[in-house]
Amino acid sequence: MSADPGEYAITIDGLVNAVGPGQILHKDLNLQVRRDEVMTLVGGSGSGKTQLLRVILGLKRPVSGTVRVFGVSWEDPSFKKVRDARRRMGMLFQNGALFSALTVFDNVAFPLRERGGVSEKKIRAIVHAKLSEVELAPHHGTLLPASLSGGMVKRVALARALALAPDLVILDEPTAGLDPDRSERFVQLIQRLRADHRFAMLMVTHDLDTLFALTDRVAVLGDRHIIACGTLDEVRELPHPFVQSFFGGDRGRRALAHGGAAA
Amino acid sequence: MIARDAALEVETVENDPVPMRVRASGEWTFSGLKTRRAEILRSIEELRRTAPSRVAWDLTPITDLDDTGALWLLRASRGVSEIEASAQQREILDRVSQASRVRIAMERPIDPYAPAVAIGEAAMRFGVHLRDATALLGRLVLEALALARRPRDTPFRELSAGVFRAGVAALPVTMLVGFLVGIVLTYLSALQLKRYGADLLVINIVGVGVVRELGPMLASIIAAGRSGSAMTAQLGVMRVTEEIEALQVMGVSVITRLVLPKVIALAIALPLVTFCTDLAALAGAMLVSRYTLGIAPEAFLEALPRAVETINFWIGIGKSAAFGFAVAFVACHYGLRVLPNTDSLASGVTRSVVAAITIVIILDAIFAILLRNVG
Repeated sequence: MSADPGEYAITIDGLVNAVGPGQILHKDLNLQVRRDEVMTLVGGSGSGKTQLLRVILGLKRPVSGTVRVFGVSWEDPSFKKVRDARRRMGMLFQNGALFSALTVFDNVAFPLRERGGVSEKKIRAIVHAKLSEVELAPHHGTLLPASLSGGMVKRVALARALALAPDLVILDEPTAGLDPDRSERFVQLIQRLRADHRFAMLMVTHDLDTLFALTDRVAVLGDRHIIACGTLDEVRELPHPFVQSFFGGDRGRRALAHGGAAA
Repeated sequence: MIARDAALEVETVENDPVPMRVRASGEWTFSGLKTRRAEILRSIEELRRTAPSRVAWDLTPITDLDDTGALWLLRASRGVSEIEASAQQREILDRVSQASRVRIAMERPIDPYAPAVAIGEAAMRFGVHLRDATALLGRLVLEALALARRPRDTPFRELSAGVFRAGVAALPVTMLVGFLVGIVLTYLSALQLKRYGADLLVINIVGVGVVRELGPMLASIIAAGRSGSAMTAQLGVMRVTEEIEALQVMGVSVITRLVLPKVIALAIALPLVTFCTDLAALAGAMLVSRYTLGIAPEAFLEALPRAVETINFWIGIGKSAAFGFAVAFVACHYGLRVLPNTDSLASGVTRSVVAAITIVIILDAIFAILLRNVG
């Protein structure tokens, strides 16, 4: 049954995804991410989280099935529809993926300049505002990505992802590579930004602290499809070996005690 | 127990069907074999000259045996059936024997079909490259046509940066190489032409050779090594750092933003570089002609237009544009195929340069055939 594309940021119906001839990775995969929620995608190593993310981002064509972002399929023949759907989406890559030849300012300004129709004066104001939101000062704009710390790279990448005020933000391992203290501060930053801008969020993470702090619903990827999708409490009840090992144990209990449910 | 070095005693028993009695004693281990190594090797060499059926081995006096010692004993006693050893020693010898048999099995026999298989595999790889390169060319044409409908989206900044880097920045090295090649070519030609009193023909030979062939070829080869490798490396690094994915997610066409500017830039820059290379080569030719053949520079410059028809110049410039496109296209093709690891980046850059140079030479041959009656 297809979901009404109007109320969902991401709709995946009957997805069949492969990594090579005959190597089916996902089969009959269905997933919906609502416009007002934070969904976290979890799964074991080799379950294909990254490949699923690539299909959602339109970087990879599935074997069959439909993937829609705000009701628009990446196969849509209308260049304008696809372009507009992309502009409503921001992506935070695991390692930032900042453009190494551009300064911090130019990185954040890049989506604005690509969009066109925005004066340089306004771009300057927006970029400084975005940098301020991620707790960076305007003078950081002159730095090149190579001279940034890991935490700063993530912040600049987040500022770039938010440059066009997107309705959907996708985060791939947002706290990977950050020490526990910076990780916590980054999670708090994401919480604040989400409270201010109310965008939908799809997150892939192995970090239980991040998951418990941010997520509304969890989708568990396993056995080539989504084996469970629901609130944390609902999913943790599932007697699936991966779910029990992922959420159970000392790690899970500590994270639960520390993070609690998302706001 | 006092450690004893390995020792080998060979006794000859007269009138015995197995006259050679070999007795191994001491510690046949890696360290135990060090002291008397040369002596033992000599004894083994001598034993090898004797038929194995006439040799008997006694290993029981050995106090310690490891894999090294076992290997030495197995090689020394190859083919010998009479070997006296303890159960433990036999176990070690059997194990090492199995391992050495596996090793010998891995020395594959020469496969008579191996050359055909290698050619087939290379052809398959070439086929995949051809398919992907054709797809890239198709996308390039489609994006170029789309850009023609939206000229405001033309990446002028990337284009001008490409022309500067591939053109202006390449001039010093390319002109220097052109100058030196001009000197060498003129000198060698002059040596031969002097014999026949056809000194002045050096202007024809060097002029046409440089303007029509050498100039474009030199400029393209240096561009392949300099600009082509840089382009492949840039795209490869962008793939490793996910910058290309970031552009795609933002809806920015990688072809329009990264590939097209490079291809157009080199197609524009290379003819200009070729022109400057031609000038430098002819300057070198003029210098050698002055001092080797006594041809004054004024006479050289006066004879040059008569010796080299203008059409040759335009052929050289036209070829340079084609070579520039080819070098940049090959560089981008390899750059976009780089996998996210350093090995792939290094091999991608190397292959890009080699492929670009090869394609330039092939294209030059095609042009030579097609334009053989022109100029």
